[in-house]
Formats: sequence, C-alpha cells, structure tokens
Amino acid sequence: MEKSGSVDSLGSKPSSRQPSVDSLSSTSTSRSDRSAQAKPPSVLSSDSVSTSAEFSPELRVKPKATAKKAHRDSDKEEPQLLPNETVQDMAYDITYFCPFTGALRGTVMVTNYRLFFKSMDKDPAFMLDLPLGVVSRVEKIGNASNRVDSSYGVVCKDMRILRFSHKQVDDTLKKSIFEVLMKFAFPVSNGLQIFAFEYGQVFPENGWKVYDPISEYKRQGIPNESWRITKVNDHFELCDTYPSTLVVPVNIPDEDLKRVAAFRAKGRIPVLSWIHPESQATVTRCSQPMVGVNGKRSKEDEKYLQAIMDANAQSHKLFIFDARPSVNAAANKMKGGGYESEDAYQNAELVFLDIHNIHVMRESLRKIKDLVYPNIEDSHWLSNLESTHWLEHIKLILAGALRIADKVESGKTSVVVHCSDGWDRTAQLTSLSLLMLDGYYRTIRGFEVLLEKEWLSFGHRFQLRIGHGDKNHNDADRSPVFIQFIDCVWQLTRQFPAAFEFNEYFLVTILDHLYSCLFGTFLCNSEQQRLKEEIPKRTVSVWSYINSQLEEFTNPMYVNYSNQVLFPVVSLRHLELWSGYYIRWNPRMKPQEPIHQRHKELLAKRAELQKRVNELQREVTNRSASSSSERAGSPTRSITPVQTFV
Amino acid sequence: MLSQSSIGARSRDVFGLRCLPGECVLQRTVMVRKKLTAREGRGWLSGTLFCTHFRVAFVPQDCPKADDNSDPILLGDHDIALASIEKVVAVGPNRTKLVTPNSSLKFTPEELVLYCRDMRVMCFLFDRLTPDAQVLEITYTIAKTYQPLKPGSVLAFQNGALGSVEMKQFLSNRHRDSHMNWFESASDWEQELERCGATSWRVSSVNDRFEMSNSLSRFIVVPQKVLDTELKKSFAHFNEGRIPRWCWRHPRGSDLLRMSSFQNNIYHEKDDIRNLEMVLFGCQSSLCVVVELGDELPSPADIQLAHSRLRALCLGDISSSVSVPDDKWLSTLEGTHWLDYIRSCLRKASEVSCLLRSGHLTVALQEVEDRDMSCVVSSLVQVMCDPHYRTQHGFQGLVQKEWVMAGHRFYSRINYHRDSDKEESPVFLLFLDCVWHLWFQFPSRFQLTDDFLLALHDSVHLPLFSTFLSNCQRERCKRSQNVGQLYTPVNGWRDMLGPDSSSDTSDPPLPPVWDWALQYSRERRDGFVQPVAPTPPLQPLLNGNLNTNLDTHRLADAGPGSVFLLSRGAFTCPANLPPWRSGGSGAYRKSHRRAMSCENVPGLERLLKAWALTELPQNTATTSGPKGPLDPYEPLLPLLMGPCMSLWRECYLRGALHAQAFSHPVSTNRPHPVDRLAQEVQQLQNQLDQLSPHAAPDSLTVTSDPRRPDTNLNQSTNNSTFLYSALRPKTTPSPTSTNQHTSRGPTSASAPPPRPTRDGPKHSFLFGHSAVAETRSDPRYHPPPGATKLPKSNGSSLTS
Repeated sequence: MEKSGSVDSLGSKPSSRQPSVDSLSSTSTSRSDRSAQAKPPSVLSSDSVSTSAEFSPELRVKPKATAKKAHRDSDKEEPQLLPNETVQDMAYDITYFCPFTGALRGTVMVTNYRLFFKSMDKDPAFMLDLPLGVVSRVEKIGNASNRVDSSYGVVCKDMRILRFSHKQVDDTLKKSIFEVLMKFAFPVSNGLQIFAFEYGQVFPENGWKVYDPISEYKRQGIPNESWRITKVNDHFELCDTYPSTLVVPVNIPDEDLKRVAAFRAKGRIPVLSWIHPESQATVTRCSQPMVGVNGKRSKEDEKYLQAIMDANAQSHKLFIFDARPSVNAAANKMKGGGYESEDAYQNAELVFLDIHNIHVMRESLRKIKDLVYPNIEDSHWLSNLESTHWLEHIKLILAGALRIADKVESGKTSVVVHCSDGWDRTAQLTSLSLLMLDGYYRTIRGFEVLLEKEWLSFGHRFQLRIGHGDKNHNDADRSPVFIQFIDCVWQLTRQFPAAFEFNEYFLVTILDHLYSCLFGTFLCNSEQQRLKEEIPKRTVSVWSYINSQLEEFTNPMYVNYSNQVLFPVVSLRHLELWSGYYIRWNPRMKPQEPIHQRHKELLAKRAELQKRVNELQREVTNRSASSSSERAGSPTRSITPVQTFV
Repeated sequence: MLSQSSIGARSRDVFGLRCLPGECVLQRTVMVRKKLTAREGRGWLSGTLFCTHFRVAFVPQDCPKADDNSDPILLGDHDIALASIEKVVAVGPNRTKLVTPNSSLKFTPEELVLYCRDMRVMCFLFDRLTPDAQVLEITYTIAKTYQPLKPGSVLAFQNGALGSVEMKQFLSNRHRDSHMNWFESASDWEQELERCGATSWRVSSVNDRFEMSNSLSRFIVVPQKVLDTELKKSFAHFNEGRIPRWCWRHPRGSDLLRMSSFQNNIYHEKDDIRNLEMVLFGCQSSLCVVVELGDELPSPADIQLAHSRLRALCLGDISSSVSVPDDKWLSTLEGTHWLDYIRSCLRKASEVSCLLRSGHLTVALQEVEDRDMSCVVSSLVQVMCDPHYRTQHGFQGLVQKEWVMAGHRFYSRINYHRDSDKEESPVFLLFLDCVWHLWFQFPSRFQLTDDFLLALHDSVHLPLFSTFLSNCQRERCKRSQNVGQLYTPVNGWRDMLGPDSSSDTSDPPLPPVWDWALQYSRERRDGFVQPVAPTPPLQPLLNGNLNTNLDTHRLADAGPGSVFLLSRGAFTCPANLPPWRSGGSGAYRKSHRRAMSCENVPGLERLLKAWALTELPQNTATTSGPKGPLDPYEPLLPLLMGPCMSLWRECYLRGALHAQAFSHPVSTNRPHPVDRLAQEVQQLQNQLDQLSPHAAPDSLTVTSDPRRPDTNLNQSTNNSTFLYSALRPKTTPSPTSTNQHTSRGPTSASAPPPRPTRDGPKHSFLFGHSAVAETRSDPRYHPPPGATKLPKSNGSSLTS
C-alpha cells in the first residue's frame, strides 16, 4: 500500500526515504506519493506540504489516492503533531470565511506551533494548517449589531488574511480561542519561547554545518597575496553586527581597521565578499562613511579603499556603488552619514543605484497584497500592478546587481557596495551579483552558503525586519527586504531556467520558514546574537530539513554552467510578478500542469535507460572480449555520444 | 548585380550564400555581426550579409556548407524575406535615420536595423573593417529593393522568389503532405466524420459549383436525413448562404456547428422552418444552443487597432524615438486591449467547450458573416477538446477546416496588397496567440510547440502561400483554373484530377504554407513538435460514443430531461421562435440570451457553472494528476485571471533592442535543456534498441560494421517499424538480461515498452501517458503498425 503511506508516514524520518535513484526510477512516483514524501520531515504548514508545482494550501485537496485514506481517517481530527508540540486549546463550531469557497464550519485547534482548522463540510475535508509564526496580528472585528457572534481576522505575513467567527462565549471567564492564539502567536511579547527552541526533530544532516567561513573563503582562494583573514572581530569588538571572520587587504594592519571602523557607520568596514578567480577583481561591502555635513575625511579609510583597488592589478579604478538614490544619500549627511566624495578618494568612481529604502518597499508590497488577496480585478490588473511599483523596485535592484557583476566580470574592476548601514540593500546587491558571477551559489548548497554568508553572518536584521513572535506589527523596522531578494532570485531563475540547481519550491520553502519559526536559521539579528542565544545548539537549521530531502528542491533541468556569468535582462518587459508565491492562495491561480513532475520523470527515465545501456554495453564488451579481442572496442564506440549534463 | 543564375544548377553557392534557382545576389557585405535574440542565445554572430532580390540573407562565418543536392529552402535561419521588411533604419555614430528608397545617407551606418512585419527586429552591426562603400551600398540596396507592400510589388516578390523555371518545376513536383487532412475533397470530410464518429452526418456536394454560397467550401457536412433539395431551400435564409454546417463532434455526442446570421428580408415558408430545424437538430441531439459571437468578442476593427498598438509598443522603434518608458510598460500593454481580446476569445471557447462536454446537444456558433470570430472560437474549442488538434498535423488540418475552407478572408484580412486597409485585421494572429496561451498553460498536452506557432505566425507575413492569398475556396479554384491570372496556387482538388497545368502559366505556382520543408531548415522543423510526445493516446474514436460510460455522472448533474424541455421551448417551438417571425435577429438574439442566462434554463446554467468549478483544484487535480485514466477529451480550460494572461514574449519581444542591457554571449538558453534531455532519452532509447536485439547474435560473429547495413535497411523501409520491432525483444529478454531483470525488480519492467507489466496508467504520469503517446502519437516513436489506422498518425515522413 504505497498510497496510504502518505498519511501513515507523517512524522517519519526522512532518512527512511528510499535512495534517490530508486525513488526516481520507480514508476509509482505519482503525485500523491510526492506530496507524501514532502510531508514527513516536518509536517509543516500545509504551505510546505504541497507539491513543488503548486504551493497553495488554502484549499488543500489531497490527491485522490490520499483522499480515500482521509475518509478512513476522518475520525482522526488532529494533524500529526511535531516533537514537543502541544495542544493548547480547541474549539468547535468555528466558521472560517474562505474568500474563495465561502463559509465553512469546523474545528480549530491551537498548539504552541500552529493553528489548525478542519472542516468536514467539504469532501475531501478542508484543512487549514497555519504556523503561528506567520501571524502578523489578530484583530477582533467589532460588530455591534451582532452580539451573538464574535469575529476575528488573522492577518498573516504571507499575504493572507483569514477570517473566523464563533459564537460569543457565555462564560466570560473563558477566553476565546483567538485570545489563546494571540498568546502563542506572539511568544516574544508574552514572555514565552519561540517554538524553534522546543522543536526537537533530528535530521540526518546538520544544517548548521553548511557554512564554514574559512572553507568558503578557501574555496575562493583566500587568503592569498593580497587578502588575509583577520580575527580582529573575534569577539565582535570591531563591529557587533559583522561576523567574526573577516577578509581584508593584506597590507592593512588590524589597528588601522579600528580606525576605519570609526569612520564607517556601525563600524561596518569594507570587507571582501567575493573575489574573481581570474582577474582578482573583488566585491567588497560596507556601510556608509560618516562624512556628515562638514565633509569629514579619514586618511585610513582612503588608504583602505586604495588598498582594495591595489589588490586588483587589472584595473586602476575602483567603483563605489551606493545603493541609495543620491538625494537620500545626501540627506544622510544630516545624520552624520553620507557618501565618499571623489575628491577624497582618488581613482574611485561613485555610482548611485537609486534603490529605495525599506519603508518604500514595505509600502509597495502592501499594495501588492491588497491587489492579489483575496480577489483580483481582471480588467485593470496590469495598470494596478504598475501602480504598486513593486516590479520597478525589483528591476532597480536587479539592474544594480547587474552593473556590479558587469564591472567585475567585464571591467575587471573591483567594486565597493554600500547603502546606509550595509545590511539591507547592500545584502541584496552583493548576493545577487554573486549569484550572477559565481555558479557555485546557484547550487542548492551554494545558495545556502550565500544566504548564511551575505545575509545571516553579515547581519541582515531578520528579527527586526520580520518581527518573529513580536506582536508589534506596525514596527517601522519591518520590511520585506529578504522577500524582495528571493523574488529577484526567482526572476533570475525565470530567465535562466537551467542555471539553478534549486527549483521554485525551494525558494517558497525558504520564505515559508522565514516566518514559521520552526527553525532557528532566521532568528536574531546578527551572528553575535545567534551565538549568545546559542541558536545552533538549541534549534534546528532549516538547511537540515532541506538537505535531508534534496530531491524535492532540485531543478531537474539544472545544467552546471559553473563558469558562466549570468547577465539577466532587467527591462520590466521581461520581469513578471511572482504569482507562484504572492498569489498562491488563490485556487484559481493554480498552475495547470505539474511541469516539474514531468521533467523529473524524464530524468528518471533517462537514468533508467542509461543504466540499462550501461548494463548492455558491459555485457556486449564482455562477450566480444571473450570471443575476439580486435572487435572489443567497436560496440562501445558506437554508443558513446550520450553526454550527461545533470 | 553581382551574379546571374546559371540555368541548370538547382541551387548554387554565391560567395557562400546558397541561392535559390534564379536568385540574384545584388549586394554583399563582409565582416558583419548579427545581434542574436535571447532565444538564439544572445550575443553576436559574425558573417556575411547579402541582399538578393528576394531576401536579406546572413551567412555566419563558420556555417557548414549545405548539401548541394538538397532541396532549396526559401529562408535560412538568419534570413528575412524582403516582403516582410517593414522599415530600414540606419544607425550612425550619433543619429539614426529611416532609410527609404530615395534617401541618401550623410553618414556611414554603424548598425543596420530592419523592422519586420512579423515583429522581428534584425540588427546588423558593421565592423570597423567593413569597407565603407559596402556598408553604404548594402543599405541603399536593401532600402531600394525591399518592397513596401502595394499591389504590384507582391507579384514581383512572388516572381522573384518562385518565378524561375527551375523553381516552378520544383514547386509543381512537390507532393502534398498526406499526413494532414486538407478538407478539400469529399473523402477528406468523410475521413473527418469517421474520425469523430459522427455517423449521422453526411458530406453534401450541394455547393459543388459555389452556386449556393460563394464563400462556403464545395463540400459541407449536414445531417444524414436532410436531403439536398431540402437543404437548398435553407441557403437563402442565411447571410451569404452560410447555413449551419457541422464542424466537429465531441466524443460525448455533442456537435459543433457554425452558421451566419439569419436573413430577415425574405419570406419564410413553414417548410423552411422545418428544414432549418432539421439542419440544427438533424442528429439525435434534442437540445440546441445557439451561441451568438458578436456580443462579447472583439470586432475585426478592434483587433486591428489592438494589434497595431501592440506592435508599436513592442517594437520600440528607434527611428521614431517614441519608445514607451519601461515604467509605463504594463499600463500601456493593458491599454492595447490585446490581452483582453485573447481572454474573451478563450472564455467564449471555454464556455462552448463546457456545453459540448455535457453531451448530447448541438452548439451552433453564429456570427453575422461567420468568417472571423467563428473561425477563432470553433477552432479554439477543438484545440481545447480534441488532442488530435494539438498535434502539428492535426492543427494544420484544423486550420484548413475552420479557416481556409470555411472561407476566412485571409487575403483581405492580411491585406498583402495594401488595398483593403479597412478590412485589415489580424484575426488569425489573434487566434495563434490564443493557442499559444493554451500551449503555455498546458505545454505537455500539446504535441506541437510554440516554435511551430511562431513559424506559422511569421509565414502569415510572407505573401507566398496559396493558403493565405485567397478569401475562400471559390477564389482559389478560380485562380488555379484561369491561366494567366495573378496567382496560380497549387491547390486542392485540381491536383487530384490530374497533373497540374501551372507549368504553362507565366506566374509561379504558389505553395501551401504547410510545405514547411520549403521554408525552414530541418533543424528548425524538428522543433515544431515535442521530442517526446506527452499527449494522451490519440486513438481514433470508432463510433464517437464514449459517453456511455463517461456521461453517467454528468447526466445526473445536468438533468437532460429538463434541459431538453426548457431549451426546446426557448429555441425551437415553431409557434413563436423562428427568428424570422419574431421580427428580426435582434429579437431572436434577445430571447436566446435570456434563455442562456436566466433561471429558466437551470441545466445550461449548471453546465457553465461546471466550468467555473473546474477552475478549482479538485478538478484540476483530476485532469492533470496521474490518478485514474485521464479523459483525453476533457477540455483544457485555461486560467483567465489577470495574472495568468501573459504576453507571447518570444513572438512580440523577439528583437526588442531595449532588452539588451549588456550583450555578452550567454549560451545558457541553447539548446533548451528539456529538448536536450528529451533528445538524450531518445538517443538512449535508440541505443537500447540497437543493443538489445543485436547484442547476443552480434557478439559472436559480427563487428559493428555488419550491423550497420542491417540498421539502415530497417530505417529506410520504415523507421517506426524498426523501432518497434527492435523494442519487442526486450519484453522477452535474452537469457543474460533476465538476470538483470530479476535483480532489478519492478523498475526494469518500466523500461520501454513500459506498460504491459505495470498495472495500468494510474502509476505514473510519464509512463501512464507519454509511454502510450510514444507508441501512438509521435511518429518518431515506434508507432505499432496497425495500432492507428489513420495515415496522419502514422507519420514515417518525419523521419525519412
């Protein structure tokens, strides 16, 4: 009974999975199996459960095979709980107002990890499985005229708003289940622990070992004659938002670094992100210089940038990319910041990339949300989309990253990238240009390294930007900077469908766990905080989960163009809204064809045929070798031209 | 003029360009680089640019020499016919100039940009080493010889391309593709009736001499029980005599008809009404739904306007320097309404498909003239519902049936001669875009590819094909009969009567567009179909009555009894509803619409609702999921929400210059990995085929050399047989491979042919469908001899 395994195997270890080759070549890899395979390791939100071709859990309908099973299990109300997940409250007779199918009556269960709604009104049963980390706020919808029912709106960070209502509780002492929900949805505000610290799942691979800065720099050929690894920030004394391992020019001693740090905002000195294996042109990142209204200068900083330029013998120029619009950069002078003047920095050319700040981005995405959820107005869809400016922002970011990549690759020139603090736009730009420049980062593990390095270790403030477990939903520090970056990556995968080892589902999964608080990866604001909280010890890394079932996230069409630099077309005409993420809740947006599935099966078929050809080849060679030695080579020769590219 | 053709040589090399017979090279420029589009891999390609009196040709530096004895191909991969050039723009150091036949340049162009009618933009860059004189000369030559379309120029172009003696001879000797249905003879139609299992219909030759209707084809399909004499009386009651005719039959027993609007100005006898009823209800259907197409669909003028806006937007013309800024792109695109029109066509077709799916009714598409939108909708419905029309040959047949023979006015709508500007409207291009949308949303349900659609799109702009150069069959016939007429299309029924007489005419015989070998290279044509056909099996329907088992749930759902009564009352009750009695078609339409939308007809309502429901995942899962035997006739219902309507970028934004931010060579996109993967799968399969039957005998006695002729022999007789017979032995494996089989367990059983041992199609998507498809639908994949009776699905021609 392969099919029924889908439900039974919930919660089973991924290690029990078949070796990948076998599961690929098995003809029974049907859709239901796939979703079943996707489920076990974490029993996450249904978001992550759905198959790679479709990401909408809202109306999760189990594939037919499992649906039958669901009937039998219909008495089993609860979902399989995660390790250490405990039920906090349950309530019956709750109405969920699904914007697509109408009101549904069912049961709500709140655990310390999720909200689970199940309605038997529909066949198959309708289920809603929502990790509490996704909840942005819960609001009671006042309805004076209706004293009998109380309504709640659950606003989610992933573009949804869920509406529930239930009968007014007679017993005034008993809390509504949504009050309970609020308590567990915002553990940080309520003095509770984020669920990631309790989640005890063990995975065969330890995702915390994915990124090791020393070996990553070694992969790039560092240290070398121009760059060295410094331990000056070992105890985060130089800069508390930077990682402990930094790469700086060889001829700048650690004392000078401290003086440079004094001149850079938050002490974020220019450090190496990436070095071109041939031209030695580098991508370095930092924060804005503390120029101020008086146009302060720093000899050390100037010398430092000169050293960066000198480290690259190919060019006598250095490009400084300031991600901000020039107006904003100038306005920062009032706050003591600013930008490098070309007088002070000889041979440096400053370029503004006109990317707006986190507040503009937040507002833009909010407009997208209004546009796509729950209903979409068809007649003015494109002009409405235009008025959100979201794609325009995407374009500017991609264009900026493209210019950086072009300068490094074609101009063989080193670049310095910064914005104000160097943890939002800078992270977007460096990581995108690295994706374009280095094929390693386009593999699954490489991408994980890229995120760990450019985002996590260099202190993108995930806690502040996402607000894990924090009820303060209006916090001005929240912003979808990381989502925007993943969107840009998605745009790249659209233009270069074969250049990335991961698929769309991988990106969606990362975003889902950005919010879910199931894994520790995206908690805290910096490496220092993560060490202090002992995150790697006390939580599970999302990469443990992902790397334990890589085939779910693998792009079957991947071709390893490791030495190819990707230059995307950044015109708006070639960008699209990522409807597979933003509009995935709408059942009418479901992709019609599981195209990945077909690709996978083609791969499986090829693997199988290849295997068979090899076997037969061996057989033929053996026989001909035994019969006559002079003909031994011929059968193989006629067979060789198949090249393998995956 | 650099060279003159030498008679006798079929095609020759002139400075590396392979000329057509009689083609003259007018100008040649060396050291030119051509900008490649994203699809071609971006970057640049260097080579030599030619201008002949037929085309602008570009020959890449290291392009392999073609075989001298192979048949001529009109256009190479990098060539543009002069007739498809719309504008020539020279780009100098600081300026750009539109070059007309009379203009003189005051600068030496660095770049030459050719804007084409088919929305390509070709960009040639001159090297510093390119001789200035050559640069200027070729610019002038192209500007002088490309022909802004006007009445005379088209003929000159046709003569230029096809007018030489050799070319005429070559064309008149070409065989028509016998794998597609041309719908020209009565037997063609009968074949279609048989394929669809429409037993209660017959082919009538009542319009044999085009006396009943000028614009209809010679043969029309009408109910068995309607006699020709009765039929004749009906013609007068319809605009242009386009009476209701059968188009297609859904396997569940519904029929699709099309007709023009009723004539109201003549007296109608009771008999006429009875005849009309007979035509509409002639076949067992007791329910008829007339779908009026005028209401929600764009008019030809709307389409023309939208298309011209789209052109202007997408081409980004640098000479006029009114390019739409990037940040206004989306709203400007919306403002063209092109996508809106596509959506409304697809929506209408989806509705009709859902009506048909419910079984046992007649859907008649009605349009005033029945020559534009009814072509679009009827063919879209068939593409959605019938997998056969999603194959290349099936689709070509569909275009023949619903467009060419049905009398779409290609000649006026395309307006080759620029003499019918008011009539011009790219209705056919709109249709192609609709099909592209279907393909885009259901790529694996199509055997044809977007490459094929693109090729067809481009061919429309080439005034060389008999397919597009007439408005109806009557015109085509007239032209081919009249010696000395402007056009002498090789076509249709006359070919079959005897040897073509076009050799005595002075004008070239025009080929049909479907003769792809004439237009495109082998490599390009290979891309017209998916390498591994994914579509469900295309088994011919024997009697067209699949409904016996499929309908059960639908019947309960639709309640045929009630539908029957109500709609019959609304549409057919002779007392009040014959349209010509109730005072004009307007009133008729009204009543019809009321019937369609109001609660009076809950059954019909429910059918359309069923469509809305299929947009929900439940049904999507059943249609696309691997579970259960998939009904191949379940219509492909596209998603039509705003975000789902995308632009056919590969067509409209092909040459867009603004797209090239940096032009570094990136070969990432080529060849598409899916193609490569599929190719590899096929290679492996072929190797397997070679290995498995020969492995045992060969190894003892022969080297690979003796094996060769063996293979070739098989291939030359019939490739498909070879493949199939070669596959056979694997199911009964040789003693040695038995071990492998057993050791590998069930997986080995899924090696091709994979199906027999596994239980049924529910197991896997790939093997459940494409394995079957491989054996049946894709000609290059070992169709079992005899599995398909129809010649079109047994196409060894592709491989031979």
